[in-house]
Amino acid sequence: MPRINLGSWAKSAVDWLQSHLSWLFDAISTVLTGMYDGVHAVLSAPDALLMAGILAVVAWWLRGLAAAVLAFAGLALIDSFRLWDQATSTLSLILVASVITLVLAVPLGIWAARDRRVSKALRPVLDVMQTMPAFVYLIPGVMFFSIGPMPGLIATIVFSMPPGVRMTELGIRQVDGELVEAARAFGTTPRDTLLRVQLPLALPTIMAGVNQVIMLALSMVVIASMAGAGGLGEAVYSAVTQVDIGAGVESGLAVVVLAMYLDRMTGALGTRVSPLGRRGAAKAASADRTPAFLRYRPGTAVATVGVVVLALVAGGMHLVRGGDRESVAAGKDIGRGKTVRIGYFPWDEAVASTYLWQNVLEARGYKPQVKQLDPGPLYTALAQGQMDVQFDSWLPTTHKQYWDRYGDKLSDLGTWYGPTSLELTVPSYMKDVNSLEDLKGRSGEFGGKIVGIEASAGMMGKLNGNVLKDYGLDGEYKVVSSSTSTMLAELDRALKKKEPIVTTLWSPHWAYGTYDLKKLKDPKGAWGKGEELHSIGKKDFAKEFPRVAEWVKGFKMSEKDLASLEAEIQKGGKGHEKESAGRWLNARPGLLDKMAPVTS
Amino acid sequence: MSRLKAEHLYKVFGRRPEAAVKRLEGGASRDELRADGTTAAVIDASFEVQAGEIFVVMGLSGSGKSTLLRMLNGLLDPTSGSVCYDGRDLTALTPRELRDVRSRNISMVFQHFALFPHRSVLENAAYGLEVRGVPRVERERRAAEALELAGLAGWERSWPDELSGGMQQRVGLARALATDADLLLMDESFSALDPLIRRDMQDQLLDLQKRLKKTIVFITHDLNEAMRLGDRIAVMRDGRIVQNGTAEDILVRPANDYVASFIQDVDRSRVLTAGSVMTEGAVDAATTTVGADTPLADLFGPLAQGTPVAVRGDDGGIAGVVTRERLLAALGEQPAEVTAGA
Repeated sequence: MPRINLGSWAKSAVDWLQSHLSWLFDAISTVLTGMYDGVHAVLSAPDALLMAGILAVVAWWLRGLAAAVLAFAGLALIDSFRLWDQATSTLSLILVASVITLVLAVPLGIWAARDRRVSKALRPVLDVMQTMPAFVYLIPGVMFFSIGPMPGLIATIVFSMPPGVRMTELGIRQVDGELVEAARAFGTTPRDTLLRVQLPLALPTIMAGVNQVIMLALSMVVIASMAGAGGLGEAVYSAVTQVDIGAGVESGLAVVVLAMYLDRMTGALGTRVSPLGRRGAAKAASADRTPAFLRYRPGTAVATVGVVVLALVAGGMHLVRGGDRESVAAGKDIGRGKTVRIGYFPWDEAVASTYLWQNVLEARGYKPQVKQLDPGPLYTALAQGQMDVQFDSWLPTTHKQYWDRYGDKLSDLGTWYGPTSLELTVPSYMKDVNSLEDLKGRSGEFGGKIVGIEASAGMMGKLNGNVLKDYGLDGEYKVVSSSTSTMLAELDRALKKKEPIVTTLWSPHWAYGTYDLKKLKDPKGAWGKGEELHSIGKKDFAKEFPRVAEWVKGFKMSEKDLASLEAEIQKGGKGHEKESAGRWLNARPGLLDKMAPVTS
Repeated sequence: MSRLKAEHLYKVFGRRPEAAVKRLEGGASRDELRADGTTAAVIDASFEVQAGEIFVVMGLSGSGKSTLLRMLNGLLDPTSGSVCYDGRDLTALTPRELRDVRSRNISMVFQHFALFPHRSVLENAAYGLEVRGVPRVERERRAAEALELAGLAGWERSWPDELSGGMQQRVGLARALATDADLLLMDESFSALDPLIRRDMQDQLLDLQKRLKKTIVFITHDLNEAMRLGDRIAVMRDGRIVQNGTAEDILVRPANDYVASFIQDVDRSRVLTAGSVMTEGAVDAATTTVGADTPLADLFGPLAQGTPVAVRGDDGGIAGVVTRERLLAALGEQPAEVTAGA
């Protein structure tokens, strides 16, 4: 079988689209981002609890008092987790994605229901949309639409469209053929047959599809956050990568609350909008024995008044409160409010350096915006100038693949930490194992496996390619690739049970501060030289931010400083990284002026 | 002039239907076509229906009767042949004109009622008028009248699923009547009902027909129903009309063995009339006089007393007499003798 170079064709197709259709992507992006911003502005305008109240009134209208109370409690819980902002942006993303999905899916479903050939042609397309892993089109999404909510929005729309189309088609096909024939026999036009007979009768099935669309959209939030969509997905993602169980549970629960709210509301909406559903609900209500006050549901008019009143209260509060602005000491306002976009992925030293610089740049009058992204999207964004700078580039090994691809579109702003090291690590209680040489012949003890990280990571290639060979360990040990967080969880588990374990790890890493670990010596130098942490800017960063580029060039950190900064941020907890880094900075008088001297 | 006239109707499903029609006209059989993957549902059907007449198409399932019915209002396009309604060739109309005919002149009653479950009884009955664009107040008034005709006054606000089968079909009937269409197509409309209800509905249809004088094409697989309702009956088999005549024609002179085998189960005493079995001539000692269209079943009582029954002719005078022997011979499935005597 000859090699079919589908992959390289796809790549050139993406390149071509990128260079020739950018106006189209820009237009789409403008529209969708506008919708997203609009919805987000509305949802995040009122205070959290007020908004929760508005959503609870909607729940009351659709489902009754019990649902309203539960909805309010759940949403208040999200606020108490300090995840309200993330929740509103997630909710906006889902609402916009769902609306667009439905606008596309329902007509497609109708078309497919009326024409067998369309249905046949659509089926494989829908299969691809539903099963193609989202990561595959996330990066092209970033190339076309830049980071932010857009790639996530696109990925969500692609993924959640199929059930919308399928359920619409199924719903219409399920309508009794005799009813359609009856409509025709009385002279109904095809269009009216659709509007008066087929759609109303298909509505319960279509609404089940709507429900599915929303649920699938919600399941995409984590993936969307990897391309900068933010929201609860980002909270989940960073909690997972940092093995922060507590934050993981809280942000996960917040997703669940939103899911349940949206699921119940769309379910109830189904019975509200469809005549058949209303009939069913009326029948069920007459057989219901729960107390009347629980069953009471405000009419549409009453509910609308409730929502409007709460919204007006929110607007009023907003007016009273508005107008506070931070001020920057005179003479030190070098940035003059200029925005610097800093990207980072949730690695500890990246978080530490990013939030430290956020404090520094703010003190100098810049407006730094920080955004968490996966490495792939972040490098893509930098290369395209949609992101200004990031501080955690591991070169020359770990991020070699990105540098190879985008190196000519990036600028290296200097190194601030080094050398790093890659190593295999065992717990300190493994007394006899001190060097890579000691691993030989002990595979039985370790179960024959070395716990690795993501198969794509540069160090995994090095481990399999050089290290195991040099020490004659290949064949004896198997490197299990998983993910960084899985590796850390596995390490945590083994340490608690005092079991033997050998894992890949690197320095700097907070695990060395948290656990009692031992780096295995590498007398043969198989891991190669250590790496440096580079600050990487977009191509013309130095031209656009000459002072910042200067400051970043002079930026250096010792292992001790970095460890204490990471510890301070760890102590401050999730969501307070900026304040923690600020506290750390303020505790070191003179450091600010050293990092960002006012006079050049 | 006939209200509805079908001429050489063919309906073939499958590939290249026109070629199949040619072969059928050339004498090919239905089975030969089936071997090639095409299905001839209706073959060379011609008939006329007079205004105010109930024309019944009788046949077993698969005989093509429902397909034939659907060609009469254009739900199915004939592969060949024409349908004339009031002198207009329906097969030549544009889709828009055809929809107009359906909403004004031809309405339909379905086997499984086909009521819209998301509409109330009144809204269902008003459907045809709504499609035609009649204003709400007027269409609801006319729908309510139709419901009253169908015996459903007071049920306007109910929903179809709250009604029994018989009542649902009355809604179906009211929906068809509300448009004031002259031609009613009824597709096995009573077949889904249980026997007692079915009988009620048949009676009601006959009763309505006396008052409204619609033109009705009624499809059924039940020969008893056909005989009860039909002014004329067409018997279909394998897509062809094998006999077309009055109930008595079919009972007394079945066109072939197939029809003959069918009529074995028919209650002859309810189909045959005094007029068709009487012997013409003088009457002596007749104590009872009946009309010529009285079913034989109603003569059992009088004849049991031994005296012959006199039969009144169209002019009101005595036209003939039915004796006990005559009656028994007619019921005895001896078509030839009855015919001879008729």
